[in-house]
This record gives sequence, C-alpha cells and structure tokens, in this order.
Amino acid sequence: MHTLTTLRLRFQLLCVTTLTCVITACGGGDAEVTSTPLPPPTEQPVVNYSGPAASTDDVANFKRALWDNMATAERCGACHVQGKQSPSFARNDDINLAYSDTGSLVDLSRPSESRLVTKVGGGHNCWLTSDSACADIMTTWITDWAGQSQSQNQATEIELQAPVAKVPGATRNFPESPALFEATVYPMLQTFCVSCHTNSATIPISPYFSSSDINEAYEAAKDRMNLDRPEDSRFVVRLRDEFHNCWSDCQQDGETLRAAIESLADDIPLTELADNLVNSNALSLFDGTLASGGGRFEQNTIAKWEFKTGSGNTAFDTSGVDPALDLTLSGEYNWVGGYGIQLQDGKAQGSTTNSRKLYELILGSGEFAIEAWVAPANVTQEGPARIVSYSGGRDRRNVTLGQTLYNYDVLLRQDNTDTNGEPALSTADADEVLQAALQHVVVNYDANNRRQLYVNGEFTGDMDTIEGGGLLDWDDSFAFVLGNEVSGDVPWAGTIRMVAIHNRTLASEEIGQNFDAGVGQQYYLLFGISDLIDTPESYVVFEVSQFDSYSYLFAEPFFISLDQNASISDVAVQGMRIGVNGRESFAGQVFATLDTTISADNYTLGSGQPLSRQGTIIPLEKGPALDEFFLTFEVLGDNTDVRVEALPPAPAPGADITAQAEVGVRHFAEINASMAQLTGVPMSTTAVNETFTQLKQQLPSTTNITSFLAANQMAITQLAIRYCDTLVESDSLRNAYFPDFDFTLPASTAYTAARRVNVVEPIMTTMLGSNIATQANTENVRVEVNALIDRLTTCNSGTMCNTQYTRTVAKASCAAVLGSATMLIQ
Amino acid sequence: MHTPFFQTAITKHRRSFKAAATLAGKIALLIVTMNTATAGPREQADKMHNRLAGVPASATVLDAMQAHIEAGDSQQAAYLAMENPAFYNVTLKTWAAPWTNEAFDKFEPLNDYIATVIGMVRDDIDFRQVLSGDILYVGDDALNLPAYSNNNNEHYLAMEERVTDLSEYLVRTTQSTVTGLPVNATAGVMTTRAAAKAFFKDGTNRAMFRFTLINHLCTDLEGVADITRAPDRIRQDVSRSPGGDSRLFHNNCVSCHSGMDPLAQAFAYYNYNYDVNGDPDGERGALQYNGSGDADAATGLRVQEKYWINSNNFVHGYVTTDDGWDNYWREGPNFNLGWSSTLPGSGNGAKSMGEELANSQQFASCQVTKVFEEVCLRKAQDANDRAQLSDMASQFASNGYQIKTVFAHAADYCKGE
Repeated sequence: MHTLTTLRLRFQLLCVTTLTCVITACGGGDAEVTSTPLPPPTEQPVVNYSGPAASTDDVANFKRALWDNMATAERCGACHVQGKQSPSFARNDDINLAYSDTGSLVDLSRPSESRLVTKVGGGHNCWLTSDSACADIMTTWITDWAGQSQSQNQATEIELQAPVAKVPGATRNFPESPALFEATVYPMLQTFCVSCHTNSATIPISPYFSSSDINEAYEAAKDRMNLDRPEDSRFVVRLRDEFHNCWSDCQQDGETLRAAIESLADDIPLTELADNLVNSNALSLFDGTLASGGGRFEQNTIAKWEFKTGSGNTAFDTSGVDPALDLTLSGEYNWVGGYGIQLQDGKAQGSTTNSRKLYELILGSGEFAIEAWVAPANVTQEGPARIVSYSGGRDRRNVTLGQTLYNYDVLLRQDNTDTNGEPALSTADADEVLQAALQHVVVNYDANNRRQLYVNGEFTGDMDTIEGGGLLDWDDSFAFVLGNEVSGDVPWAGTIRMVAIHNRTLASEEIGQNFDAGVGQQYYLLFGISDLIDTPESYVVFEVSQFDSYSYLFAEPFFISLDQNASISDVAVQGMRIGVNGRESFAGQVFATLDTTISADNYTLGSGQPLSRQGTIIPLEKGPALDEFFLTFEVLGDNTDVRVEALPPAPAPGADITAQAEVGVRHFAEINASMAQLTGVPMSTTAVNETFTQLKQQLPSTTNITSFLAANQMAITQLAIRYCDTLVESDSLRNAYFPDFDFTLPASTAYTAARRVNVVEPIMTTMLGSNIATQANTENVRVEVNALIDRLTTCNSGTMCNTQYTRTVAKASCAAVLGSATMLIQ
Repeated sequence: MHTPFFQTAITKHRRSFKAAATLAGKIALLIVTMNTATAGPREQADKMHNRLAGVPASATVLDAMQAHIEAGDSQQAAYLAMENPAFYNVTLKTWAAPWTNEAFDKFEPLNDYIATVIGMVRDDIDFRQVLSGDILYVGDDALNLPAYSNNNNEHYLAMEERVTDLSEYLVRTTQSTVTGLPVNATAGVMTTRAAAKAFFKDGTNRAMFRFTLINHLCTDLEGVADITRAPDRIRQDVSRSPGGDSRLFHNNCVSCHSGMDPLAQAFAYYNYNYDVNGDPDGERGALQYNGSGDADAATGLRVQEKYWINSNNFVHGYVTTDDGWDNYWREGPNFNLGWSSTLPGSGNGAKSMGEELANSQQFASCQVTKVFEEVCLRKAQDANDRAQLSDMASQFASNGYQIKTVFAHAADYCKGE
C-alpha cells in the first residue's frame, strides 16, 4: 500500500516557478464558461425519457453532460436501469434517482479516477473496440458535468502521493543484441502470433513482435517483457488474464511464455547500482502522481483524437460528441509512445457519414477552430502536404491545414474563396514558423477575424487578406482525414499527437491554456531523499511525461517535504543526475551542473522550493511501465560523490595519406600579379584590371594542379593577351621592355633573324628567369617562339605585314610565353 | 566573357593569338619535364619566392635569396621574399579572404577582417590577438580613400579597386576608436564589420562560433562532437525531437550544441543590423552591440532577441540572460584541444572567449597547418610533415605567435632538395 500523504498545491504557486504553467488549471480551469455559452453541440436526449424533471441545476447538468450520453441502450442503458443490473445509474424512470445512484460512481474532482471510468477502462462492456477510448469518453462526459457544476475559478489542487520507498538498481536491461531474445521468446512469438503481429500478415496488427526481421521484432517486444518480473510481462498478462488468442489453454500458454521470458532474463546480468553513488529512492512513471485533468479548454470541442490506443487501426474520437468520428488508419503509419501516430505515407480517415458531424456543427456556429499537436518530419514537404483536412479530393475541400516547407497553410472554402479553399493563408516564408519539432497549431476562423494561425500558443501575425465569408458552400459529402488528402495522393510525413475540432474559435488565452496543458499524460515523480538529509518525508519532485516514442521529459524539479511541520534546513544540492534502470542515463543530464541550496528562506510551504526552471529529455529504455528512475547527486547535504572526469586518451597520430604533387598552379590572384610582374604592366592599369575582374572567376581558384581545367587555360590566355596588348600598345612600357626593337618597321622586315632577338630575348629573360633549372629550358622555348614568329610573318595576300601587324606579332610572342606553364606552374 | 577588346582583337588577329595559345600549351610540356630537375639553391630560392609571394622573383631578389640559402640562412631568404608586396596583396589576401564568408570564397573583396589579418602579419603582432584584440587596420589617410564606415565596405573596396600596396598603406588602429565599439567588446576579427556581416547576420550567432572554429581551430563541429557533456545550456530553439525522433537529439544535436551553446553565449550582445527589405544582403548594415545600459526590446536585457527565438521549440531549454560563457570542452575528449591552464575556462563576452580559443594548442596548430598548406600547396602527408607541423607550432608559440616566422619555416621546409 502506498503511504498517502496529501498536500495541497495551489497551481498558481507552481506557476511562479516557471514561465509556462504546464499544470495549468488541472481539472477546474478547463471548464471555464465563456461569457456567451453555447448550447451543447448536439442534443443527446435519451429517447422517451418522460420522468420527473431535474430537481436541481446539478441534476440538470448531470443529465445533459453525462446521463444523456451514457444511458443509451447501446451503452450503460442496456443493463443499469431500474429493475435490472445494480447500480441503476442509467435508469430512465426518474433522472433524480439516476443522479443519486451515480453519485458514488463519479469523482468530480478527478473525473478520470471515477468508478464509471475505471470500470469501462477495465473492459467492462466498453461499447468500442478500445477500452481506453471508452474511458476517455466517459471521462469527458464527467468532466463536462464537473465543469458545469463546479465553481469555475476555484484553485486547482493536486495531491502529491508519496510512492513506496524503493531502492534503485539491481535491474536487468535488454542487451544490444537480439540473440538471447531470438533464442528464447522469439520462437514462440513466431509460432503463435505471426498471423497478426507482423506487417506481412493479412491484417497486420501492430506491434510487430513476430516480424521476420529479428531487430524489428526485438524492439517491438521489449515493452512487453518485464525482465525483473516476467510474470507481469504484457505478453503473459494478455494470455493468462485477458485470454487473448490463446493457442491452447490460456493459463498454460501464459505460463509457457512466462518461462521463456524468465529464461531470457536469467541470462541477463543484473545491473547493480554503484556503491559510491548518492542516490534517491526509485520509482517508475506510473508510480508517480497523475497530473490529472489535462487543464485544457474544451467547452466547444466537437471532435477530438488523442491516439491513446497505441495499437490497431482505429483512432477514436473521444470528444464524447456523437456520432463519434472515429478514423481508420491505413498506409504507412505507426503508433508512437506518449500517445500519437506517425505517418509516412498513410492517413487516418473518417467516414463521410460521421464526418458530416463537422459540417452540421460548424455551419451552425459559422466559425471553428482546428487544434493539433504535430511534429512535421521535415521542412521539405509541400503540396501543401495535408495535415488536417476535411475535403473531397486534391482540388476540393471545406478546410485544410497543410504544410509547405517552413510554412503552415490554411485552405478554407467560404464565400470569398474557391472550391479548393484558395487563396490560402500561409505563414510568412521568412518567419520559418513551421519547424520539424512538436508544435501546437491552432487555426481559428470566423467571418470577422478571418483565418488566423497560432503556433505554440502565439499568433503568427499573418493577416488573412481574403475577406471573411459564410460557410454555406461547404460540402457535406466530404470526409475528414489526417496526414493525407482523402484521395491518398498528397501525403504529409510527421507525427500527430492530438487533434481537436471546436465549433467556436478559441480565444488567445484559451489557446495559451491548451498549449500550456501540453499533450500526453503527465506525472509528478517523487524521488525520496529523506534518508540522505534530515528533513522528513523529503522529495525531489519532477514533472515527467513521455516526450515521444524514444524519450521522457523530466521538467522543473522542486524540493518538497510532505511533512508540513518539517523544518527546512540548509542543504546543498549539486550535480543532480537522472538514473534509469540501475545506472545514470547516458544522455540528457541537464541537472549535472545544478548548484543550489535548499533553504528555509527559499522554501514555500505547500509548493516547496524550485530547483530549476529547466527540463530535459531522458532516453526511454524498457518502456514507461518498466523503466525505473532514480536520482544521483554529487553533493546532497553532507553526502558527497564528487566526480573527477578522467583525462581522455591522447589522440592517435595522424595517418599517412597518398603522396600529393609537389608542384601546383598559381591561382587567379597570383596569375594576375605574376603577369603584371613579368610584363611590367601594373595591375592597377585600367585595361588589365577590368579584364582581370571579368575573368577572375574563370581563372584557377586553387593551386591544386589536379583541378586545373581547360576553361582555366582559356582565361589565362585571354588575360595574357590583355597584358601583352597593354604592354605593346603603351609607348613607355613597350620601349622599356623592348628597348632595341624597331616597332616602326612593317612585320615583313621587322622580324629578320637579327632583329627579332630584340623581341624574343627580353621575353626569355624576364619570363623564364636565368639559370633556373626547374624552369623550362630557355633554348627550347626560344625555338618555339621563333617558329611562331616565322609562321606569323609569312606574308601573303592573307596576312598584311604592316607596322600594326608588327605589334601583333610581338603581342603573340609575349602572350605565348606569358600564358604558358612557365608562368603558371609554381 | 569576351570583352569588346577581345572580340575585336581575336577577330583581327585570330591566327596570331591562336598560334600563341597553342605554343603556350607546348611550353607546358617543357615545364613538366624541367620541374623534375634537382633543386639547387637557386631553384629553391625561386620556389620559396613563388610560394611566399605568389609571383616569380626578380633577378636581383633571386640572386640575393640564393646567396642567403647558400649561406645556410633560408629564413633570411624567406623574409626577403616576404618583402614583395604580393605577399600581402596576393598571398595573405587570398589566405584570409575565405575566412570572411560562409562560402569560403577566395574571391571576396578586401574588407576590414582581411586587412586586419594582413596588417597583423606584416607588423608581427601576436596572432592570438586575432580573436581578442582591439585592433583594426585601415587605409592610410594619404590615399584619400572614402572614410571607414560602420555601414559599408567602401573604404576597403576603394583599396581593392586601386590595387593599393597593402604592405605599405595599411595603418594600424583600434576598433574602439574607429567603430565606436567599447574596448571590452572588441574581439579581434570577430568584431569586424565583415565578420558581423557574414556571421552575425540573421540566425542565432552560432555561425560566428562555428566559422571561427573552422577558420581558426581548423575543425568543424563534427570534429569536436561530444555527447557526454551536460546539455543544460542548449537554448530553447533547438528541437529536442527533430521530426518526432528524440534519438536524433540525444545522439546528434547534443554532440555539438552542448559545447557550442555555452561558448556562443559570449556573442549574446552582438547583432548585424540591416534593412531586411531594402538591403536584403546587408551591404549597408552595421555591427550592433548592446552595451551597458542598452536593452533589447524583446528580451528587456542586453541579450539580443535572436537568442530567444523559437523559444517554444523546447520551453524547458536554456534561456540566455547574459553573455557569460563556459567552455565545457575543457573536459572530455576535447581536452585534447590543449586549453590554456592559465585561463579560467569561463568568462563574459567575446573578448575573453576569443582568448580562450586563441590560447589553445589547437589554435597554434591550426595556424601553422594553414600556412603549411598555403606554402607547400598540399596537406601534411606523412610523419615527416607531421613532425614539421609540430615543430612549427612550437616555434610559433615561442616566437610570440608571429605568423611570418611560420611562413618562413614552411617555405624553407617545402623549398625542395
């Protein structure tokens, strides 16, 4: 038995500890009445009720919120009526008597713990295929009743329940390799469960622990095997206690599987907690205190999907508003931990008949809000990729929330848009509002305020330029779908954790409230440290939830003593780490740097002392039912376990790489500077500077000789010609460079053997240097240049060997050497 | 690419220039043969000059360098080569230009970052100041350049267009007197306008840290990835479940962010302000620093709004409230970067964070590696090369972190035999 100690925590006080009050208004605030309350979205009278009228407002509220829904013949009204099964809370002869009979079956302060809820949640005549969906719907009805009946502004109270003190450690952890599993449990799963629990089954039913892929099977099976208590394994319970598709005798089958799991566990060594650790007590997620109520504003919710089922192919509408718009999952999808579905190329679609609920209820109000917790898989999909859609195909819709890259898009059919809901409202490209992270998205629409988008509780600021209009053109033959178009050809990849449709817009504070409430179930984990410090019944408390399929969120730790009379003395807290299954988690140790002191001055009776506003995610190992958590401390009061990190090994010496060229080419800037130096033409000369500027991107950008391209040589040649042209056309430069050559002679006579040396030799000397053995052989180059001049000065009718051509030949001779490897290679 | 000049010239003298181009190709074959020749002192001098200055030596300089090498003083030969203005205008400019933009573009025009690096090398300034000094190089007043402006790069562009001799006309000054940045907010090239334009523009300022790491510690974040550091300083904007899979965060994101975010916090007061609509490239933008008494409109603190963006991606993440930085990489595998034992490993602002980086052994090692590759035209490829790099790093440190000594040693090592 748990020791139950009750502490009243006013949520406002906790809010002081954080910028975001995740436990906002648990239970009470969510039922806040708007100033102009709407009638219930649908009337659900129980047919033929003709008994006495409700004697009080609370009875009337009971009837409207709970009894009308629950007392129907297909639900509790089939049995729990007068003269039949007791208690007769669904009796239809007198609503006041039904009210009386129901009193002991509900807990208006904690609707989810009501007897009515736990009963249907335990499988007692649930009218759906999912017990948890029935429980959620029943919770919704009771919450509605509570919301209507209770004072709306009363402070929320959370009862922290002290868990049983457990010593952490000595647990078994699944080995990396699936070999043991393959040898023990897997053969049985392969034999007896393979007709359903594999994706190749005729009707595949997740989880795929019978998959032919051993790794996939291993991952899927881990959550269903309890290594420390094999008899509590989900596999065993499902057979032994729930009679789920036993292959012979359920008791015997369960025992067989238990033995197999025990055999697996026996070969896995215990992970012991190190002696030197200063550690708290241990507990699992479900040992924590439920942060119940959700704290959501759902006054006008007409459809809601929370994806709690975790298996199968139906996402139940748990809004409690009939008809339930249950969605059928198809294509590529997975259930994710912490509630949700992950879609790759799949969809979750409702029937057109049940989707009509949206048509009717939204047309009636003329406004609506779509609310979703989504995690886009990427920021590259477009289409818009359909996240939430009520449509008839890729070119016709009532409304769609979609994704285009970093943007959310809203397409809405109304008087001033087309049948495809266009023009769309999209978030601004520059804002990159959509991120591949879990986000809370709300689309509001009413004619006055037009389409509005809120992401993570904040208005995006994107104004709808399309005037608002009526929704009378909506088509009631469309279907509601998540993660795709109804035609299945515009998929969206990502995870959907929750979707709700409201037939009123949500006010910004209501959106903020729902964002703060978060998604998924949250717990307070109380890590006992009484045996480490003097304060009795002392705990470090974390708010914990399953973050996604792979991690838990541990947030906003605070210190508290459940003994209200305890005196708080100064206690140093340093280096707090979170342990999982007997060892400190390898990741997420945000509080390893914590350095604070618990003191009476900072301690508030009732809410304790916050230790940090931060949170972290801790990798999931065995699953929420099995993972056992504890805390360790480097310093906690007088207890110390200060860590000194070992020095890392010295880095290994670098490895040899393939020998590289000893020579390279000059890059663009070096070529330019070299040409300037070799011709005497300053780089700043306008002509060459302009040419260089135009050509430099085509010149070699690196000195790596293996990257040299023909295009580089083309640019080099052009630049060389420009330099030589500038050199020869400038009187001063030309005369300085070729002092002994007569440029006034026509080419036919200027380049005699005796005269041409006055062109060739200056080029040879300047551009090749002298006596450099690694440079090109001067004589060989001279021969080539002479041959060039010979060829160019063969005068005939096609070659006019005039004085202008004399300069041309000089330029060509210059450029031939300047643009060659004699300059280029270094 | 053809200019009117080329269109005219090539049309008129097509045959001549085509023949010249063909001959250039032939000469290339000659040079490939000749480069295999054994390198004597003259060839070594030629190679050293080419590698240091980027241009061939004049006959006079080559003779002098040859003489120094023959006398066993290769260092002196190298210093002679580094007197060539091309060492500054060409070699150093293209050496530093890629550090000033995210694309590592060598064609980047001259800017205050490049000019400051060139000036520091020229004046033998302790190169560690490149990440912390109140230092800036501008063009000489005698050049009648457009004045240095916090809002544009005209001053340096004018020098680029005029092909100003940077060995002569760069003048040392301080950022605090020219740009008005408080002295304690100056952090070497990181607080130049060019760096701000490249790495403080938009984003989250992590770019400044990452590119400083790449350019001055020669490693990208992958090289320092470590998932074992506490992730407590990772800001709220980093998704803990990218695409719905938190394993990515645990095994990937955290490996960089856990160390980077507490270091990049040093830049919390910096931003690059520009007209997003009228000047989307930020050509007329300016570095903006929230000094003492300033407050950002969004944060109400000196911390820039960009440090608080996308805060709802993970509300429990770290909220930056000041520019305090901590070096988590002093422990764990990145201990091997060789942090200075005389520094505390934490502080406030970019200046002290720059000192932390620049006093690491990795900084010295990186600088000599960059010089080696610039001069030898290749990476270190064997044990000899690695030993040379180690020696050069030691000499760099013992010679007051003067980069020119490193260039000289590298040129000597790669001059051939």
